[in-house]
Amino acid sequence: MNTVNSAVLDANTGWLILAIFSVLWIFLGWLWGRKAKQLDDFMLAGRNVGMALGIATAMATWVTSNTTMAAPQLALQLGIWGMLGYSLGSVGLMLFAPLARRIQELMPNGYTSGDFIRLRYGKTAWRVFLVISLFYGLGWLISLGMAGGVLINALTGIDYQLGMSVILAICVTYTMLGGLRAVIGTDFVQTIIILVGIVLLAWLAIDRVGFEPMHLAVLEERPELLNLLMPAAIMFLFNNLLFGVGEIFHSNVWWSRAFAFRRDVGFKAYMIAGIFWMPIPIVAGFIALATPALNLNIPAADMVGPMVAAKLLGFGGAVLVFIIVFSALASSLDSLLAATSDLVLQDIYRGHIRPDANKEELRKAARWVVLLLGMITWLLCLPRLTTLASMLYFTGAFVASTIWPIIAGLYLKKASSSGAIIAMLSGTVLGLWAYFAIGFYVAALVSAIISMAVVFFSMWLKPEQFEWARLNEISNKQAGVKFS
Amino acid sequence: MMVSSEFLSVMVTIALSITIIAPIVLIILWIKDWIKGQLW
Repeated sequence: MNTVNSAVLDANTGWLILAIFSVLWIFLGWLWGRKAKQLDDFMLAGRNVGMALGIATAMATWVTSNTTMAAPQLALQLGIWGMLGYSLGSVGLMLFAPLARRIQELMPNGYTSGDFIRLRYGKTAWRVFLVISLFYGLGWLISLGMAGGVLINALTGIDYQLGMSVILAICVTYTMLGGLRAVIGTDFVQTIIILVGIVLLAWLAIDRVGFEPMHLAVLEERPELLNLLMPAAIMFLFNNLLFGVGEIFHSNVWWSRAFAFRRDVGFKAYMIAGIFWMPIPIVAGFIALATPALNLNIPAADMVGPMVAAKLLGFGGAVLVFIIVFSALASSLDSLLAATSDLVLQDIYRGHIRPDANKEELRKAARWVVLLLGMITWLLCLPRLTTLASMLYFTGAFVASTIWPIIAGLYLKKASSSGAIIAMLSGTVLGLWAYFAIGFYVAALVSAIISMAVVFFSMWLKPEQFEWARLNEISNKQAGVKFS
Repeated sequence: MMVSSEFLSVMVTIALSITIIAPIVLIILWIKDWIKGQLW
């Protein structure tokens, strides 16, 4: 058996690539973001994002380092269903397409997902939702920041703290410079790099190894990977589907894009992004099945992608994987930074501290919020506590509890405030219980089922008659309704 | 129930085809939006 060193590139090459792409992202962020003078430009890219940038930003944000690194890992651990299960993450994007259209219709002047919960269900539900959403946002930020340091270290040998600091600093810099305009602009370039990169890797795997020898070697050494009735993998598929839907439906990352896209773009952009995203985990993951045929010994399952690439392509393959992973990390980190900062700015700063703040003041505060959030993330990532990274797994129970309050809140007048609050709280608590008592693969499932039951039971027990016009805050203000 | 070599090749080929088409479509859309002044 051949054993490839765990660091597939030397540190000098790693630093060179980091330097080149850091300069590129910051320059592009500045270039596209310099016109973001007004609050709506900074927070929502001017509310006029077109189709190409809309599809690319939805795709790039959903392609995290997890997709590019964990898809091969899952293929190695769970086989065919691992890849297919991961690709079902795209269902969340497609299901959000009609919601994006509805959000634009109901809230043409909205800023965050928190705005919707506040206007639809009132202050208490808003605060419960903010705890869930900020917990999830911070959990994802820490997970990505740590993943950046760990992956840079694993691929190049560069110290974890240095690598993590560099990637966070780059994303914070260009997000501060141009807000969502910078994020969406760089997302387009990052999407093209990721897509071309994984196509090249998959193509080479097919060319150098071939389907038949690959299939034969897996059948001899790891036949369970080709088994369509692998129980753990089937459970993973359903949990991943619901976790993904919960993540997308509640997170301000996706709501801010719904507000930012041009009126005719939202539905199509999310739908096409979902279709284009679906095959990515299969293309990125399938190269792991080449491992037995290549006679590779994989010391850590999460390094299977880079190792197969290095084996197939040598130095060039390792460089390519590093660029793909770096692009995937940056495209998600910047989006999350921008969207979580929007939530902090609009729902915490304006909502709880300075309700009378004007747009100019908010525009100035927006940059400081991005910087503050970046620094908090950096501090929490610094000690490399794996318990913090695993925090993201818990959030399945939290986010899945918001699915039904959001769907019902957007489409059903009868959905009530008390029902939404109890649904989010009980879904989260029982989802967490299921996580510890049964396993991670049922947390989101239990949370979503409980939340759904509570939402519909409360509608039957004590229905409300909500007026959709109350969601349009500009009209409310003209009618004399205060912010909170 | 084991997956055959043919199933694997068909599944990966379809996935790869969509992933090849995606960046081409994105670039064409970008050019169209840019020409119409509708990028942002």
